Amino acid sequence: MLKIIIPTIMLIPTTTMCKPTQLWYTTLIHSMLISLLSLQLFYPSLQPIMNFSNHNMAADQTSTPLIILSCWLTPLMILASQNHLSTEPLSRKRTFIITTIILQMLLIMTFSTTDLMMFFVLFEATLIPTLMMITRWGNQMERLNAGTYFLFYTLMGSLPLLVALLSLYSNTNSLSILTMQLSPTMLKNTWTNSMWLLAALTAFMIKMPLYGLHLWLPKAHVEAPIAGSMILAAILLKLGGYGIIRIMSTTNFLSKTPYYPFMILALWGIIMTSLICLRQTDLKSLIAYSSVSHMGLVTAATLTQTEWAYTGAITLMIAHGLTSSLLFCLANTNYERIHSRTLLLTQNMQLLLPLMGTWWLLASLTNMALPPTINLMGELTIITSLFNWSNTTIIITGLGTLITAIYTLHMFSSTQWGELPQHIKIMAPSHTREHLIMTLHILPMTLLMMKPELIWGPLYC
Amino acid sequence: MVNVVNFVREHWVHILCPMGFVIGCYLDRRNDEKLSTFRNKSLLFKRELKPGEEVTWR
Repeated sequence: MLKIIIPTIMLIPTTTMCKPTQLWYTTLIHSMLISLLSLQLFYPSLQPIMNFSNHNMAADQTSTPLIILSCWLTPLMILASQNHLSTEPLSRKRTFIITTIILQMLLIMTFSTTDLMMFFVLFEATLIPTLMMITRWGNQMERLNAGTYFLFYTLMGSLPLLVALLSLYSNTNSLSILTMQLSPTMLKNTWTNSMWLLAALTAFMIKMPLYGLHLWLPKAHVEAPIAGSMILAAILLKLGGYGIIRIMSTTNFLSKTPYYPFMILALWGIIMTSLICLRQTDLKSLIAYSSVSHMGLVTAATLTQTEWAYTGAITLMIAHGLTSSLLFCLANTNYERIHSRTLLLTQNMQLLLPLMGTWWLLASLTNMALPPTINLMGELTIITSLFNWSNTTIIITGLGTLITAIYTLHMFSSTQWGELPQHIKIMAPSHTREHLIMTLHILPMTLLMMKPELIWGPLYC
Repeated sequence: MVNVVNFVREHWVHILCPMGFVIGCYLDRRNDEKLSTFRNKSLLFKRELKPGEEVTWR
């Protein structure tokens, strides 16, 4: 693990000391090399062992795909922000790149730590660079409000988590995932234990986000710069899912009743947020709500705690991470040309940017989980395991899938087809850089279709 | 000679990341070795190595 983390740390002095003309490509190439290096974590993940680095760091099949995804996203973020930052002075460009690198470092450490308290600290630490990114490099004044929402929602949830972890520590004398997985703490069905569970899960539910606790997300996504939106959608939401899986696998609750409220909200949220998507006028907001809807499936799956559900949850997390990040990049290419996120102002784009239309089509198809994408594998596995848990959920998940297809087609048709708006007089052509970003999103998805067991989680082996 | 010095001055920053990788690899390997410090040392479970066998487990 250190062979990925230390080069990431060394990327910070590289960024500060490289020549101004070399800034973008130096950081891009080095971070790309680090992400290629991180692929070697996949090798032991094919065997049912943990990939140790030292006593405090290990990666198993749950965390490996997420670590690799966070490494993969950094060069893409750097690539995507070049146009956004082109008017900024050099020192701020450097600061921005350093912020993304610090975020990558913190994320790798969060996913690879074996201690729950360390996980908590790093989980909170990822807030700081993200907040800096949103409030400093956002496009409008509302970014400050979005930053406040983002920070306070997450902090409010994480204080109970801290108390829950401390009480667990005082009972079990250890918070190491490695030892606790071997003998999960049995929790009897008492009020105290239910409260403990509520305290432990709220932070992750806010991060996921669960329907009802999700209001920070559309704000943060809409106001964040492109890199912020990408990392939020691709990794930071998955921190919640990862946290739930970790907490669930270390504690064994004897009764399933305390999960019901979360389950109901998650399932209901799938329908509600999909319906909200249908009436969005803001492209970025639409994509943000679609994230909430997909994450509802993941929340429901992790709470059922079956092997299939975990497999589906991890697969969908990775698939959705790549897809939503791709959609945000596509939305940003429109934003950079029209300077508006409104859906109505960017119609018939396939006439002006035909190749970009192809990327839009591919992104829409993956977002609505068409075969043979990994999104379909994830959703199908989750829907099957939920059906096994309770037959009636098929109505909700089925409806959710239907509405997802409708709003994705709505998004596609309203950006790519229709009448060309009158106000578009001059349109910048698409850059190779933009096509490269899209290709680098599609490529891992295509490759994972060929070998999905890499992201099927620990219970597949 | 001047060209080499100039090249080094221009591009020395590119060595930092690979250097980090080498250091990381070294530390990782040292930690791996530390994990097997007590391999086949337990008095209760210690056994003789079979002919041709280097270690009991990897």
